[in-house]
Amino acid sequence: MKERLAPAPFFVASRPDSAPADHALRIVQALLVDLDGAAAILVASTDGFELAHGGRLRSDPARLAAMASSLAALGDTASRETGIGPPRCLVIESNDGRLVVRGMQLRGKPVIVVVLTSHDLLIGRVWNSLAAAEARLGE
Amino acid sequence: MKEFKIVFTGPPGAGKTTAIAALSDLPPVRTEARNTDATLGPTHITVAMDFGQVDLGRGQRARLFGAPGQARFEFMWRIVAADAAGVVILIDNTRADPLGEFVAYLDAYRDLLPQMTFVAGIVRSDVCRQPTVADYVEQLTARGLAFPVLEVDVRRRDDVQVMVDMLLTKAQSRS
Repeated sequence: MKERLAPAPFFVASRPDSAPADHALRIVQALLVDLDGAAAILVASTDGFELAHGGRLRSDPARLAAMASSLAALGDTASRETGIGPPRCLVIESNDGRLVVRGMQLRGKPVIVVVLTSHDLLIGRVWNSLAAAEARLGE
Repeated sequence: MKEFKIVFTGPPGAGKTTAIAALSDLPPVRTEARNTDATLGPTHITVAMDFGQVDLGRGQRARLFGAPGQARFEFMWRIVAADAAGVVILIDNTRADPLGEFVAYLDAYRDLLPQMTFVAGIVRSDVCRQPTVADYVEQLTARGLAFPVLEVDVRRRDDVQVMVDMLLTKAQSRS
């Protein structure tokens, strides 16, 4: 993760029978273009199914989708329990990179977007891009 | 206050969340998401864990953790089971292959079976009589295992309490 990774020119949409998959793929494509330096983007359903992913994901996307679902649910529950309102973002800051997890609405369906980046990419830029992507493609 | 950690595991829809809600003294903490898998019955599924707690009296308290049922959340099973005093495996007898699911969970927890106390709760056996408790015990025996297998209604607090009491009695006798 220390090296700056350019997005790989491939995208995979899972569960093609699933209506949100096309929209999820558009989110992945938009974020990979917008976030130059993001290693990978993954969109998952809230119950842990991979909808689409792109970039250089080193882990199994199905497994990461399930983990993203658990993380998002724990974040949501912890936010509610502590009375701080709905969570906007979860960030896992690690030595060699970071994972940003954000829930958003995609055509009226809740999904979870995961951005895997190096530290070169400013966290504020990731937040802004995620918010912009939701505003542009979410409805 | 002496505290014990009890884990509820088992396939989707077996009643883990219901069991914890039935026994917990406090409203349980839930991490549920709307189910998008048409092959499953529940409208919502646990995606991280459930949590509740029950005062057992005599200065003892059990913390109740529920693991997600779907195999894709298998990474959570080990996280949730860490340092547990015992594990309840719940199996829904109305599913297509309850014995196969039981065996799958025995395999998944294979390395914890020698060091932790287990009990199995068979739910909805009043709706579907087969397989019988003896069939489940036979699966255990075939693997050189022995732990209690009970028919339970996880909506009933007393039924869940019996499983937890069995676990703790056995766990305390081991320590």
